[in-house]
Amino acid sequence: MVWQRLKLVVSGPVGAGKTTFIQSLCDDSVVETDEVASEEIGKEKTTVAMDFGRAFFGDLELFVFGTPGQERFSFAWDVLMEGAFGLVFLVAGDRPASFPAARRMLDYFVSNFAVPVVVGVTRQDLPRVWASEDVAAYLRLSPKEVLGLNATSRADSRRALLRVLELWGVGVEGESAAEGTVPKAPQ
Amino acid sequence: MSKQQQIQEVIASLREAVADISGAVVASPDGLVLASDLGESEAPRAGAMAATGSGLGRRIAETLAVGSVEEVMVKGDNGYVLVYRAGDKSVLGVVAKGRANLGLVNLEARAAAEKLEKILG
Repeated sequence: MVWQRLKLVVSGPVGAGKTTFIQSLCDDSVVETDEVASEEIGKEKTTVAMDFGRAFFGDLELFVFGTPGQERFSFAWDVLMEGAFGLVFLVAGDRPASFPAARRMLDYFVSNFAVPVVVGVTRQDLPRVWASEDVAAYLRLSPKEVLGLNATSRADSRRALLRVLELWGVGVEGESAAEGTVPKAPQ
Repeated sequence: MSKQQQIQEVIASLREAVADISGAVVASPDGLVLASDLGESEAPRAGAMAATGSGLGRRIAETLAVGSVEEVMVKGDNGYVLVYRAGDKSVLGVVAKGRANLGLVNLEARAAAEKLEKILG
């Protein structure tokens, strides 16, 4: 039985793997709003409004919202963050050129929304990719807030989500590092 | 005449046809401004918003089985923002005053959207 519903936002610069991450994480089909990209962004389509899917963790039901990545859509970041308990912020680990934009964007989120953030460094399957500790240093975050992952992996996406829940103070029975703890809703 | 100039002309003639339209923007479906008569600071955001409105409208129309999206309307207590799908290559965003004749705005804006589709086709 679902005892609590939570809203999670997945954000990060264009091409970080947000839509893929949500597809991996979510248990039912994901609602996407993608359009043909008219800029060179390394892929054919890009999200213009949001992605939406649901994921279940023990007694938790998560409503997962993905944002567009381009700065011109920052108004949508504000709209989607309303009522969110946490943020997964993805950065493409093989594209250091996108790191400055990622840092600006992350600063925006951190200074506007007081929620736990986990940074996921994607594309860890590639040979030339930044390690999560190096990205943590670049973003001036503690290493426990940053983890390497593949957005295509369901296990990886769930691990990222568990990390956010742990930062928020909730363990998920049977899946959490904090074994045997019964989840409690923070006030 | 370049495409850019042709698009600008479509906007100008739309503005001329309906006095109560206070601004218009033409953007790619992913929100990059192609032409606009809004202020330089306002245009990029308006273009992105037109794309968001149209993209979300498209998904809603498909999910609730009302076909492929043609228009999205936002009505405020002081005016309207309307987004028209202009083929596959662009969206047209129109800002109109609260006293505007919505039928007239639609008539002219739909005609403008058809022109845009031909220009960018």
